[in-house]
Amino acid sequence: MRGQTFKIASNIFEVPMEQLNESSSPDNVESWDSLRHINLVIAVEETFNIQFRPEQIGEMTSLGIIIEMVKECSAG
Amino acid sequence: MIEVSYSGVQECLNKANLSQLPKLRVSVLRNIIVESVESYLRYLALQIGFDAQIRFGEYDNIFQEAVGGQSELLNEDSDVVLIFTYLDTLSWDLSRNFLALNGNEIEAEVDRIKEYISSVLSGIDKQTNAIVLWHGFDIPVHPSLGILDYQGRDGQAGVISGLNEFLRNSLSKRKNMYFVDMNLCLARVGAQQFHDSRYWHIGRAPFGREALREIAEEDFKFIRALKGKNKKCLVLDCDNTLWGGIIGEDGLSGIKLGKTYPGSAYYEFQQEILNLYNRGIIIAVCSKNNEGDVWEVFREHPDMVLEEKHIASYQINWDDKATNLRRIAQDLNIGLDSMVLIDDSDFEVHFVRQVLPEVEVIQLPNRRIVEYRNILSSCGLFDTLALSPEDRKRGAMYKAEVERQKMATQFSDIEGYYKSLEMVVTIQFADDFSIPRIAQLTQKTNQFNLTTKRYSEADIKALSESQLSDVFYLHLNDRFGDSGIVGVGVLKYEANEAVIDSFLLSCRVLGRGIEDVFLNYCLKLAQKRGKVIAVGQYIATQKNGQVREFYQKMGFQGMEKTENTSTSKVDLASYGFHTATFFKQVISEIDNIPVMEVICKDEGADVQNCE
Repeated sequence: MRGQTFKIASNIFEVPMEQLNESSSPDNVESWDSLRHINLVIAVEETFNIQFRPEQIGEMTSLGIIIEMVKECSAG
Repeated sequence: MIEVSYSGVQECLNKANLSQLPKLRVSVLRNIIVESVESYLRYLALQIGFDAQIRFGEYDNIFQEAVGGQSELLNEDSDVVLIFTYLDTLSWDLSRNFLALNGNEIEAEVDRIKEYISSVLSGIDKQTNAIVLWHGFDIPVHPSLGILDYQGRDGQAGVISGLNEFLRNSLSKRKNMYFVDMNLCLARVGAQQFHDSRYWHIGRAPFGREALREIAEEDFKFIRALKGKNKKCLVLDCDNTLWGGIIGEDGLSGIKLGKTYPGSAYYEFQQEILNLYNRGIIIAVCSKNNEGDVWEVFREHPDMVLEEKHIASYQINWDDKATNLRRIAQDLNIGLDSMVLIDDSDFEVHFVRQVLPEVEVIQLPNRRIVEYRNILSSCGLFDTLALSPEDRKRGAMYKAEVERQKMATQFSDIEGYYKSLEMVVTIQFADDFSIPRIAQLTQKTNQFNLTTKRYSEADIKALSESQLSDVFYLHLNDRFGDSGIVGVGVLKYEANEAVIDSFLLSCRVLGRGIEDVFLNYCLKLAQKRGKVIAVGQYIATQKNGQVREFYQKMGFQGMEKTENTSTSKVDLASYGFHTATFFKQVISEIDNIPVMEVICKDEGADVQNCE
């Protein structure tokens, strides 16, 4: 799940996997703007077959947080 | 078709080497956030060999960009303009507050939107000849007045449908502008998937992932057709495709085909194939079987929908399917990349995909035969922008061509064969009736095409109306039938030269001495326009190698080469005009026009009577 999320982020932000980690965020990934943020959500939701709540979409401030949310959604 | 995930689409785009590909310039005018569609659009463009460059207009700025002008978005280089007018943004009242409006207010609001549509359309028309795809309004699935709403035409659904009707009519009156039916997209995807309220509330992005994918797919049905990347020929497997079971083992009465399940699945699938035939798709058969067994089914089985006469070409033998597909392509004189193979066998599907990646392969799932029909009808590979009378007859015309080929073998000399065809050639200037077909030929013709310039209907209209250019076509009829419009020429005039901008013939009329008479008339026209020199250009593509030396063969001199373009010229005064003797008749209005010199100035042209 962690690896898959990194892979998705790497595709969406066009950044090599090695440069991403849990603390990657809009602040330190240059291409992570609000439009790509939606693309990331779309891709993550599709891959894991989940649906985030609107609040969660706003709270996704790092890849680590997103991974936690995916776990939460998949469990619930 | 998009068969990978959103992330996979993006991955594929990141890995692709796009720099070598021709550009497809797409501008998006919109009153919503729809940026996420970009990856799907670029992916579909890549599939047909284009690097799509997508440019989004400002949010909710359609009117200003269209009417006020925005040269970054709308210009001569634009290929495609996509327009998204979401009703919530365009008219909150009609979309969300409908019941608060009285009849007059509704009417006023409808009029306002109609005026908006008309202004935007004429604004765009002034700025670009790009193909315009306007996404219509989706009808609310839960209209304000519930079941009462749709009892009449004046309910919310009725009013919005009326707007769609107006939009559709306005678009159809203009060349190159098309209505994209969002209600079809919505129905295919389902309302739950189509709208994603979360993105709407967070970021004014109304469409869900599935909607974006479906919309991009729908748009590319137009774009593929515009770029000549749509498919022309469907090649059918037989056993477990056209019927259930194996004819060689189960026999005529043992195969499954009929009005009841499971035979009905194959019966309905065949009906769908016949629909494709009736819209001009060439049907061929490629089957590992004894030929006699297959024709026995075609001739004797009471529930066969397809008949022998629908099959333009076939390879029924035990050779591998790649070899057989190549033979069919050769037989029909079409490219492998305009063919679609439909087959159920894992082995054949993988083999053909490996050996002939140009051929599109649709695999039918043996365990879900009831889906066969839907798989074919939803593939979207065969769409065209117009359906000319030529299209509807194409299947029959290709069949006739195979007959001609057979007859050719009976003649020892080629002229004798030409004569026996009793060809009647007509060469005329483009007019409103022929423009759609002319544009279509420029978009689709690959082999006998000297410059492979692709033109839209609007382009052709502009070229034919200009004093500085002429567009003419060739129509062919013979004893086997009417081939319709099969040749196009475009002449552009510069100083004392006539440049042959386009010169093409449909592949199904090649090898009948037609290019000769067509070029003769082309040069005759150049002369009548007062020109001294005709300039022939050959622009090399992967497919037009057969005409590399066409102009040289026809007596043009010299050869200037730059990259993949070679240019040669001919002096019209000393050209040996001739008319072949093997035609039954050659008719052309070019014979009747007076000699009028087209004088080219910096700003435009003048015509001067020289007689």
